[in-house]
Amino acid sequence: MTATLGEALGAVRDARRPGAAGRRPRRGAPRQRLTRRGRQEAGWFWLFISPWVIGFLAFLLGPMIASVWYSLTDWDSFTAPEFVGLDNYVRALTEDPIFWKALWNTLYYAAVSVPLGMAIGLYLANLLNKQVRFRKLWRTLIYLPTLVPLVATAMVFKMVLAPSGPLNDLLGVFGISGPQWLLDPNWVKPALVVLSVWGAGGATVLLLSAMNGIPREFYEAAEIDGAGPVRQFWAITFPQITPVLFFNLVMGLIGAFQIFSQVYILTGGGPNNSSQTVVPLLFREAFEFYHFGYASAIAWLLFVVIIGFTAIAFGTSRKWVFYETEVR
Amino acid sequence: MSAVTSRTSSTSRTRGRRTRARAGAAVAALSVLALTAACGSGGGGEGSSDGGGTTELTMAVWGGDTDKAAYQARIDMLEEEHPDIQVTLQLIPSDQYAQKVQTMIAGGDGPDIMQVAENVNVYSSKSQILPLDGYVAEAGLDLEERFGPVGTLYSYEDSVYAIPDRSGAMITYYNKDLFDAAGVAYPTADWTWEDARDAMQKLTVPGQQWGYGGAGWWAQWWSLAYQNGGAIIDESGAPTADSPEVVEALQWANDLTFKDHVSPTPAEYADMGPDMGGDPAFVAGKVAMNTTGFWAIGGLEDAGFNWDIAPFWGGKEKAVTAFGSGLAISRDSDAPDKAFEAIDFLTDAKAQEVIIDMAQDVPANLEVQNSDAFLNPEWATTPINMAAFGESADHIYRAPFIPEWNEMQQAFTDNLETFWNTGGDAKSALTAVQSQLESVVRTDG
Repeated sequence: MTATLGEALGAVRDARRPGAAGRRPRRGAPRQRLTRRGRQEAGWFWLFISPWVIGFLAFLLGPMIASVWYSLTDWDSFTAPEFVGLDNYVRALTEDPIFWKALWNTLYYAAVSVPLGMAIGLYLANLLNKQVRFRKLWRTLIYLPTLVPLVATAMVFKMVLAPSGPLNDLLGVFGISGPQWLLDPNWVKPALVVLSVWGAGGATVLLLSAMNGIPREFYEAAEIDGAGPVRQFWAITFPQITPVLFFNLVMGLIGAFQIFSQVYILTGGGPNNSSQTVVPLLFREAFEFYHFGYASAIAWLLFVVIIGFTAIAFGTSRKWVFYETEVR
Repeated sequence: MSAVTSRTSSTSRTRGRRTRARAGAAVAALSVLALTAACGSGGGGEGSSDGGGTTELTMAVWGGDTDKAAYQARIDMLEEEHPDIQVTLQLIPSDQYAQKVQTMIAGGDGPDIMQVAENVNVYSSKSQILPLDGYVAEAGLDLEERFGPVGTLYSYEDSVYAIPDRSGAMITYYNKDLFDAAGVAYPTADWTWEDARDAMQKLTVPGQQWGYGGAGWWAQWWSLAYQNGGAIIDESGAPTADSPEVVEALQWANDLTFKDHVSPTPAEYADMGPDMGGDPAFVAGKVAMNTTGFWAIGGLEDAGFNWDIAPFWGGKEKAVTAFGSGLAISRDSDAPDKAFEAIDFLTDAKAQEVIIDMAQDVPANLEVQNSDAFLNPEWATTPINMAAFGESADHIYRAPFIPEWNEMQQAFTDNLETFWNTGGDAKSALTAVQSQLESVVRTDG
């Protein structure tokens, strides 16, 4: 699937390139009347796309517009909303220390867990790409954590991260006295990162299939030129899979900024909000404190942050993401 | 929510009260925001009466299978004796109850009858549930006589908003075998703090067994604060969380863990297993005493040791937290008079007896609490001192069910978490709580 994903990303680029569009001959004038068959096809198109369109308009666009309005009001969800202008935004940005704490925690989590998850995913994929024995078994085992329900995972991690739990026992073997992970304000965020790394295998499968899509000839040619395994990795494998890495980066960033269940189940945001992140915070404000206006404002602030980081990722992508189809 | 949420709270007390919902993430929150908006102008409640025919009511409650069976059995009795009333029961999982009801009400489709607890005044202060004084007077119902001091527990600005339905004091569970082995007399209501601590010390075997499950949950240490003459919110509605009485009680509670070492620390609990706390540790025989609500009895039926319950001990005064819930009528009800008729029946002795017969909870009705059906329940496998509930009833303090209840709990949870995890100075912890409460609680009334 991922080989096609990489191709799809490339194909989008392809279509956007001015030259590419020119290659395809246009059929007639723009406003030409559709043939009977064309009309029929258009009808089918609208029929099949309608669940998505209706779903988007009714359940996503409407709520989004509504939440912009609510973010400008003081609303408890019961009585009529009262317009307060930008007060909610001002309060979040200037008065509420917990919002900044949650935002900082979220940034910390994203900044550590996303690159670490990608690096581990890439490392595992590269290992599996070698002709190891029981490759299919390894691949299954590495992907398996992604399939375990998060609630079950969190329960296991509560045991693993216990002050005298297996992880600290393991650290003890190396002479390290482990912290009280979930009880210590300084260590609770790294604990969340540890949990996220456990699911890094999800990216491995994507990367592995991208690696499988790289033509063998490249490696053969490199070998003849005398390139060793490390050189081969950096000169061939890595550039070839950058579209998938880029995809993982963007999705990983968005996912990390929206982290919810892990915090909700594992720590509840504690101790003293030191693991509180933005989405659990807005959930709490909306559904436990009945501050829907404020929660909506937080949601939009988070949206701006995510868009900002995604834009940065896209902006730098020209420098490091390699699309074979773009090579001239 | 007390009975059920408290189960999770007492097991992981550092969390405080926290409804646990499915992972919805931002998108879910956003869509609910607008869903409520979209349905905001929708039709009224489902309760409809067609002249002299039957009235259909909806009733929303939280809980699990036992709760469903118990409520349904009571509704069946109601429908039999009031053929003109038909009730549809909506049982919502406890962790989703508050949000579901919030969404229903915001959508103009609130249930006719709804279960409320500590956060009752979220709804009453925003006029989402109806004041019941008129109906109470009309029905000639004497709340004091039927329920004792908790009769007007669910009040806001001198109006009653919910009729008590379930109400049981926090009680002391004790492991008779461990007490006998240590040669300590069983706990009684007459114990003072010193008596309690002496017993805990004798019952503690360092690193293996502890005298007490700990008092870190609000229901536990607030009882101590009120016993000490303190209050979390004073008569005028202003927070008084850092008064010397409260500070002394909190310090005593925390010292049990970090100074006297007669209760497990959170780290020791975490090492016992996930979501470990006083309740499961008592069942496992790790702690000799535990203070919690009625619900723990269910987990002890197959316990491999002898146990019993006693009223909570006292301090300078007697005071104890009660767990319970009441029944309220939402503003969306089209037939509030019939809804009240139903509530009146459901909280009367006959229907209340079902609550104890099915081992669901402590019925709020005092007549039932003192009846033989309650004192010698059929399901009990060993004799249980059920009179402990009735004896405690007079000492239940009036917990501050302010509209900002959830925010108040969060202020305590946040500022006391490190204190509970590592020990420390109660005064400085409560000073932080107090300053946060002052910004959270609207003192203008």
